[in-house]
Amino acid sequence: MNIGRIWNSLANPKRIPRLFALILAIILLAGFIIPISLNDHQLYPRPTPQSQISVLNPLAPYDRGGIPLKETGTVKAQYPKNSLELGQITAYLSPIAIGVKNTTYYYGTSIYSSPGGLIDEILYYTRGFDTILESSILMMAFIIASWVALHFTMRREGEDEE
Amino acid sequence: MDLTTIGGQLLGTIPLGDIVLYLTPFNLFMFAGALAFTTLIAISRTETQVEAEFGTLKDKEVKVDLQEFKIRRFLAIVCGLATAGAMITGDLFNFTLFVTLIGIVNIGIVSAVRQVDVLNAAFQYGLIAMMASLPLFGGAAIILASTGTLSLLELVKIPYVTSMMTFGSLLLLMGIIGETGVAPFYATKAEMFRTPGSPFILIIHLSSLLVIVRAIEVLLIINKPF
Repeated sequence: MNIGRIWNSLANPKRIPRLFALILAIILLAGFIIPISLNDHQLYPRPTPQSQISVLNPLAPYDRGGIPLKETGTVKAQYPKNSLELGQITAYLSPIAIGVKNTTYYYGTSIYSSPGGLIDEILYYTRGFDTILESSILMMAFIIASWVALHFTMRREGEDEE
Repeated sequence: MDLTTIGGQLLGTIPLGDIVLYLTPFNLFMFAGALAFTTLIAISRTETQVEAEFGTLKDKEVKVDLQEFKIRRFLAIVCGLATAGAMITGDLFNFTLFVTLIGIVNIGIVSAVRQVDVLNAAFQYGLIAMMASLPLFGGAAIILASTGTLSLLELVKIPYVTSMMTFGSLLLLMGIIGETGVAPFYATKAEMFRTPGSPFILIIHLSSLLVIVRAIEVLLIINKPF
């Protein structure tokens, strides 16, 4: 096949996502035959699976110990010298969270677990810049969507079908 | 392959918790280039296209109205800043977030153009960018799982390369290609050269070129082929 014809067929924007999806599908299928090799010295340590559940810990599987502002919880950082106060508020629970914790054993896996300090520690303390970027991505998406919705970039009713 | 072989002397780091930005002449040059171009864009005005009309002696001016000009300038500046950030970041996940920000802002710049052909191309580009976020973040997650760290300064010290790391970086490359719409997808973006308001369009090209150069550095750091 002539290479000029291949380039010409690629010049149609409609074909590009299909080609991309095809290549991506081939790579993802190839992923099934890649041997899995996980590193067991993970940065964010976790307790052995089910160990906290079997002792009926309501915070399972996210209990990292510690007392807020007194005793540090078990949270590791890549660069501990950059986050000296790490672990101080790991065990913090909001008053509502404490109330829920006392009524159920499944607090840790529920949606209520988000007010806990652990997420604050990892997301906002050691990896705070990521959070800034994530929210700016969301903000940009909303700005674009609302601009397009308000200004109707193009009215297409009157356009002829191609 | 260590950092100094690729980027030159390590001039210093900017510690932001676990996210440590590092400065080498290579990264700083691209950072300054992106910032300088962003400044130029921020102070420039859109171009007006003049089309000759057939049958008369009049010319038709294709102008960009003020609202469209403002949103495109704003998005172009954000895109420039995100590109500059992606140049000096020293964290893999941070890099993918910058690339995503570039991708979504690029779609915004294109979707503000009032031409049907451009909007059709923008729609297809948006489809690719949506698809690309899966391999982009998936690749970063696989690299984290197989190495245990996301910091490039730590990744460079890992002496071995497993096939899972290579697979992760392949996914990462697919994601970056999709998000920025680089070389194979230039056909899609060729539509945009012809539109009025070109300085803002050019940031899309600049960002994808700079990001792919930086992505090559990141992939060399992870895979250490030499």
